[in-house]
Amino acid sequence: MAADHKNGMQCSEFDALLSEALDQRLTGEQLEHFQAHARGCPTCGPLLAEADAGLRWLHELVEVDPPVNLVDNILAATTGLDTARLHGTAAAQTQISWFERMQAWASAVASPILGVAKQPRFAMSFGMAFFSLSITMSMAGVKLGDLRHADLRPSAIKRDYYETSGRLVKYYENIRFVYELESRMREFKRATMPAEPAPQEQEREEDKDKHRRNDNTSGQPEPKQDRNYSQQGSQVILASVNHDPPVVILATHRRFS
Amino acid sequence: MEDAQVAAMLVRRCIAGDASAWEEIVQRYHRRIYNICYRFAGSGDDAQDLTQEVFIKMYRTLQSYDVERGAFMTWVTTITRNLLVDHFRKSKQDRMTDSLDTPVSEHEDAMPLSEQIHDGAQTPDARAQSREVKETVHKALQKLSPDLREAVILRDLQDMDYKEIATVLKVPEGTVKSRINRGRAELARLLQRTYKQVM
Repeated sequence: MAADHKNGMQCSEFDALLSEALDQRLTGEQLEHFQAHARGCPTCGPLLAEADAGLRWLHELVEVDPPVNLVDNILAATTGLDTARLHGTAAAQTQISWFERMQAWASAVASPILGVAKQPRFAMSFGMAFFSLSITMSMAGVKLGDLRHADLRPSAIKRDYYETSGRLVKYYENIRFVYELESRMREFKRATMPAEPAPQEQEREEDKDKHRRNDNTSGQPEPKQDRNYSQQGSQVILASVNHDPPVVILATHRRFS
Repeated sequence: MEDAQVAAMLVRRCIAGDASAWEEIVQRYHRRIYNICYRFAGSGDDAQDLTQEVFIKMYRTLQSYDVERGAFMTWVTTITRNLLVDHFRKSKQDRMTDSLDTPVSEHEDAMPLSEQIHDGAQTPDARAQSREVKETVHKALQKLSPDLREAVILRDLQDMDYKEIATVLKVPEGTVKSRINRGRAELARLLQRTYKQVM
């Protein structure tokens, strides 16, 4: 290709000027030679067309937007390097106060717990526990709004404890008193009411009948009555014979022919 | 104040320990570096990782930057290019198995904001076609050899001049031009082949 010389320009020259031509920087005679070579050369002509097409395709590509968090990520990644590079690890450690150390230690301990607690299922459990607790407290009559700083002193807590236990004892005593009163009243009623004459005979008969019916403890159904009452009419009835049977005189009347 | 002077001043402040100067450097250059990485690596995730790596390396070697030897952007691009070449060498095998026909859903989130916000003047069909063309060109770009690809990206997508590209790639200017021309022509051939198959 380098040796080819067409229209006052070699292919190597054409190749060198191709970029300039596509940038539209060629002018005058140089441009004319270039165009003439492109028209006449079977290698360089298609090359110009393809390069031009490729350039137009590339112009289709526009700048893309980087991810939103890219700058933050870069700064986070390089800030770590900054601390180590500029201040030095040992120097940085000596400058850390005990409070900062405590904070770092607390965050190191708390972060895994918080990480777990932030999971939805644990959050749900905590929510349910809080809900149950608040219901229990409201049922017990405890109102958090009523709590004061003074209530949390040891003496106040002690006093509350004794008051609560006293209330419980009193409540128990009251209930016992009511039960005793009730039982006394019942006894008194029984003593004052006259005894009613009960139909004892009749009751006894009924009891016996029940007993008989309930004798069958086998658990089996009662046996059926298998008697054939329809045949009772044809049964031979044995008449009782008296010792002195009545005498019947029979008279026969025969005809003799 | 010129861009090179601003960059030089920021570098000096940063070396002196000014954290805000570093933040400004990141703000100024992250978009450009991300785009180079994205066009070279082809994937948004890789581009993000590579951009972070570029800035980490940049920060570590910031003291080695010499204002007299060249523009800050050229220096930054050189770091980026070296990391991209390393990345390419590592992921060479993965790249060989890629195809132009593979779906390009990955680039959805990497679309520029102007593309994500629908243009009222364009019909949905036209939008879809335009997006498809962009994705196809992007895919075709990944098929170019790294030498041609980097030259084309720096020239046609980053608008760097031939001299700067020659500095970054450490090759003569003539070689840069030749690579750019061959890269463009190869890209056109790849795309013509792709569209012929589709038609």
